[in-house]
Amino acid sequence: MGWGLMSPALVVLFIMAIAPTVYLVYVSFRHENLLGPGSMFVGWQNFSRVLSNNENWSDALSTVEFVVLSVFFELGLGLGLALLLNRRLPESDLLTALFILPLGVAPVVSALVFRVLLDPAYGWIDYYLQTWGLIGDPIDWLGNPGTAWVAIVGLDVWQWTPFVTLILLAGLSGVPSEPKEAAIVDGAGPVLLFWHITLPFLRPFIAIAVVLRAIEAFKTFGSIFVLTTGGPGTSTEVINLDLYRIALQDFDIGAAAALGIVFLLFLSVIMTQLLGVLDRNTDILED
Amino acid sequence: MKNISDKTGVTEWGVSRRSVLKGGAGLLGGVVASSAIGASMSRAAFAAASKPASLNMLYATSEADSDAIKAALPDFKAAMGFDINLDTMPYNALQQKAFAELASGSSYYDIMIVDTPWMPALTNKIEPITDMVLDSALSADLNITDFIPKVFFDTAVYKRDASNLHFDKTDVVDPAAIKAGGFDIFGLPMQANVLTLAYRKDLFEDPANQKAYKDKTGKDLAAPKDWDEFTAIAQFFTDPGKRRWGTTLMAGAGDWATDDFKTLLAAFGGDGHLVNDKFEAAFDSPEGVQALAFYADLINGKKVTPPGTTSASWDNVATSFSDGLTAMTMNYHDLSLSPTVKGSVAYAVIPMGKSIGPHFGTWMLSVNSFSKNKEWAYRATQWFTSAATQTKALAHQLHPTRVSVYENATKDPAIGAKFANFYDILGKSLAVGVGRPRLTNYGDVDRAIWVAVNDVARGAATPEAALKAAGDQVRDLLKQAGYKAQ
Amino acid sequence: MKSLATVLARLALWSALATTLFPILWMLLTSFKQPDISQALPPVWDFAPTWQNYRDVLTGNTYTSQVFGVLIVHTVIVTFASTLVGLVAAVPAAYALARLRFSGKRFAANWILTTIMFPPIVSVIPVFIFASRLGLTDTWPVLVIPYAAFSLPMMIWMLRSSIKQIPFEIEEAAMIDGASQADILRHIVLPLLTPGIVSASLLAGMMAWNEFLFALTLTRSAVKTAPVGISEFTNMYGTQWGTLSAAATVTVAPILVITILLRRRVVEGLTFGAVK
Repeated sequence: MGWGLMSPALVVLFIMAIAPTVYLVYVSFRHENLLGPGSMFVGWQNFSRVLSNNENWSDALSTVEFVVLSVFFELGLGLGLALLLNRRLPESDLLTALFILPLGVAPVVSALVFRVLLDPAYGWIDYYLQTWGLIGDPIDWLGNPGTAWVAIVGLDVWQWTPFVTLILLAGLSGVPSEPKEAAIVDGAGPVLLFWHITLPFLRPFIAIAVVLRAIEAFKTFGSIFVLTTGGPGTSTEVINLDLYRIALQDFDIGAAAALGIVFLLFLSVIMTQLLGVLDRNTDILED
Repeated sequence: MKNISDKTGVTEWGVSRRSVLKGGAGLLGGVVASSAIGASMSRAAFAAASKPASLNMLYATSEADSDAIKAALPDFKAAMGFDINLDTMPYNALQQKAFAELASGSSYYDIMIVDTPWMPALTNKIEPITDMVLDSALSADLNITDFIPKVFFDTAVYKRDASNLHFDKTDVVDPAAIKAGGFDIFGLPMQANVLTLAYRKDLFEDPANQKAYKDKTGKDLAAPKDWDEFTAIAQFFTDPGKRRWGTTLMAGAGDWATDDFKTLLAAFGGDGHLVNDKFEAAFDSPEGVQALAFYADLINGKKVTPPGTTSASWDNVATSFSDGLTAMTMNYHDLSLSPTVKGSVAYAVIPMGKSIGPHFGTWMLSVNSFSKNKEWAYRATQWFTSAATQTKALAHQLHPTRVSVYENATKDPAIGAKFANFYDILGKSLAVGVGRPRLTNYGDVDRAIWVAVNDVARGAATPEAALKAAGDQVRDLLKQAGYKAQ
Repeated sequence: MKSLATVLARLALWSALATTLFPILWMLLTSFKQPDISQALPPVWDFAPTWQNYRDVLTGNTYTSQVFGVLIVHTVIVTFASTLVGLVAAVPAAYALARLRFSGKRFAANWILTTIMFPPIVSVIPVFIFASRLGLTDTWPVLVIPYAAFSLPMMIWMLRSSIKQIPFEIEEAAMIDGASQADILRHIVLPLLTPGIVSASLLAGMMAWNEFLFALTLTRSAVKTAPVGISEFTNMYGTQWGTLSAAATVTVAPILVITILLRRRVVEGLTFGAVK
């Protein structure tokens, strides 16, 4: 009975997860030439090329950097916002409703809007930064690796901080008041209060926010693709963009499959760690 | 697992093995017979294929002047009697879509636009039209010798299984000679693009500017003839306080940067093809270093380009010039100024260095080898590239690929009024244009080079180091693709 | 002391809000500007608004090949269809995982959860090849099934926890009264599950509406969706800010409106059920 109820879901997931993986494993050992003759079995060649290509390693590093930076800033800003919103000012409800709007904007759209706003010649950001005297020459945001990173991390932070805020806000609203009041009576200041009382209660929520956000961040494609396309050069190229280029622009399916499998293996290791974090800090995985 | 019973040869589906074999043989025989008949029919069937209700065409957007195509659709319907369903896409998406369609063997698009650098990888998926061209009934009105030979041979003529080779008799377009040489025609050229210089005529003819320039340099203010003059004029017009710069450059990370670089490489005496016929990375040379150093100096040393140049592509520089941000620009099409800028535009061939070799590439209309309407698709491409259609399309800024149409363009006063001397310059530039190398993995080579150009333009690498790194990468890529350096 | 803290907090909050809403406001503002002022510097704040950009976008008077309004229709269809498929698959699965006991249940639950780690770019390659070989490119199923699959793990997880929050005694009582499993599902669980279903649907719907990669790779024109269409608004002659922002607003507005109206359910959906 149980498996019967599960079957529609399992069928869909089979089509989209198992079958593709099987195909990818098959193709990763071949050189598939979709545009001409010459498809053939090549053994480990795709894998050795992928693992010896320096560009792939730097892209892998970029991917990890992107996830770590984004989640870090989203956590910090999200926590700050949640604490502010938790003060229950009269306008908190309205503000919360407005703060979550970025979550609904399609990543492609927000990337395009950011690109236009960051244009050095016409964009409003450089214009206002100059008018307010904060910078001299306009910054070519997408033309320099450092500022391009600021742009992609900034875009992700803009889009997803509300996600973290919501989770942490829910956590904050559940912090019991007695320990707090007792500590205040004992003379504890706001910092100590936060560190010893609030934060421990928030740990499960922080864990959920970080884990969920990290998983999604590893899958980011559209926003980086539209904002920088991996540029300048390959400085903001994350593995997802690399895969897109190899598979759907060069049509070297074998190499893409090999890279994809290596990436999947890496992600499954990460996933195990993340699930472990969730398991230790929360009870949502329990039956 | 289904079992075949050994004793009776009957499978679980109740079909005897013998009958399956018989049926299979019959089927095979039938297939062989019908394909033999089909092959002999196909030649005679050119004229007999039934007219489709509509054909699907994949096209670019403004890179190949889709407006001209859209405007011509009603005339097409009137002349040919069926519709064209037009899908247009911008460059990157178009390339991805074209390759994806062909890689998946889709018959959806009958006619596809192909950019020159894509063709070496696609010779097995695009239909060779040589036989249809030679068919006198089908190609009676083709007038193939009217196509500009240089454009035609660079764009449309390849050897199917050795796509890097060039056909050698390129002075006149002779389909029979092409076929005899083992080559094929893969499409008809539609829009010819070559790098031209555009400048603000009003600024150049302003007496105050002319006097100031003469006082400063002792020379007359006119379209630059060489790169020193180009630099001097660019410096003269640069005034960041007034939001004006000398020129645009497309130094962003993309194909356009490679095109800028190869043009300068040719100007400094190097091989503008980037990879020569011996499969050597010809850009990793003293001329290459000089060209790239000059380029980077304009951006970072003399600062004659507007902000954002190191991430600029075709559309940024077009916008910059049309908004009056620069006095000069180099681009592949005619330009108009935005309504708020009061001025006029004139064109010139790009400056001469030790030599000259503006980048040129052409779009062509090809027939999808999986199309179910190849003959009518071919007729359609004939119509779109005909002299009559191209002449009419001049009003929509199409860059013609036929000699007669160029003559019409330069003689027509209405065209001259609208586009100044653009067509005249276009023709002159095409004559000296330098195309791309024919490599199946040109995309990767392109990328290695544009990364180098962009790095140097941003000041992140020296020309020597960047070109050496790109050269090593390209040598690797050529080896991987099976091109042996000779 | 307290009121200073409040003042500072207010200041911080409203500044953060301004930064957050700035891109959205820019989009809205620019969509109403005429072409000659849309890119002007200094930015024009005081101008006569025009509907021209919206008219151009919805009637196809732009550089793009298709009328953008048609793409919105496609997006609506794909969103509804994939959400429906997702629900049909997720609700029974969630119930089975929440209430029933069967062998391999832990394994199934964990496996389903691990599929969210699959980056879409990895699965688009085989799907592209399969779809091409089967001639399914640019058809509805080629988007609907993958979209349903993307949201399925989270929908199941959310609905499972929602079902667990329904007191089992209600179902127990019905079982004692002789109701069948199917009846219990339909008449007791489902109505109580409505808020959870709404949240799960909102999650799936928003994901489908905003999805880019699969639509980019697997559609041509019959099924092309709005996010892909938006990316076509830059071309060789320059970016048209007015029509770009109008198209962007049209794409984003329905979701934003729903986010404001149904915000509690949206919050539950977007946080994968972590926040109720």
